[in-house]
Amino acid sequence: MIFITGPLLAGKQSYICGALGLSLDEFARRAVWDVQDLAAREPDLPALADALSRREIVIATEVGGGVVPTDPEERAAREAAGRLSCLLAERADTVVRVCCGLPQVLKGRLPC
Amino acid sequence: MFTLITGGSASGKSEYAESHVLRLPGRRIYLATMRPWDQECRGRIARHRLLRRGKGFETVERYTDLAGLELPAGANVLLECLGNLTANELYDPEGGGGEAVLRGIAALAARSLHLTVVTNDVFSGGASYDADTLRYLRVLAEINRALAAQADAVAEIVCGLPNYLKGGPVP
Repeated sequence: MIFITGPLLAGKQSYICGALGLSLDEFARRAVWDVQDLAAREPDLPALADALSRREIVIATEVGGGVVPTDPEERAAREAAGRLSCLLAERADTVVRVCCGLPQVLKGRLPC
Repeated sequence: MFTLITGGSASGKSEYAESHVLRLPGRRIYLATMRPWDQECRGRIARHRLLRRGKGFETVERYTDLAGLELPAGANVLLECLGNLTANELYDPEGGGGEAVLRGIAALAARSLHLTVVTNDVFSGGASYDADTLRYLRVLAEINRALAAQADAVAEIVCGLPNYLKGGPVP
């Protein structure tokens, strides 16, 4: 599994489509994205990470960089999103962080 | 040559950008884009002026339409920062939107010996914003990606230290 992370609107999808030569249709079939939003509703994060890691490409947006939210629900959601990313990175063969459209491989190497 | 520098607030990106420009020989121009709206802005500007003191920068203030700015050719220009400039072009009555930012940077790059642009990473704190803020983020993100693609070097500053995403530091 290739795990792609990075800030909001950083060009994560464009990057992986370009790197692997994927059309939008292929991308939609082979990737799952915005997985940070799945974390909030999931009581069992390792199970979610296991399920996601069976996909080929998993994309999460970094959301932990701002001030800790005062709202308990938002706070828990942000915490879960960060934990899920760590679990996904553990399970991934390759981890790439995309910032300003530029990739940086944090783990493994890209199959291309 | 064109270098883009990004980083979160108070990550040390200004200090790094200045030290990067100081390694370049020749005339140095600091292009400031923050409008001195209030006391806090003025304080921030004063702090930055103090940081630059004695480093041989000529300060030029310009809030919109960089393409129409007549800077001396062949200088090392440090522009700070893209977050302010983008807000000015989007929200000022005389602003020209995101297009004006890109036009302005292209004109500056053509005129400068080495252009260094500081931008702002405001994209790691979630997406729970109102529509207008999201529009601003979309425009700034597009500009960041376009400039990163054009740049010879891109550095993300973390705790004052550069993480080069493209190219490397000037020798």
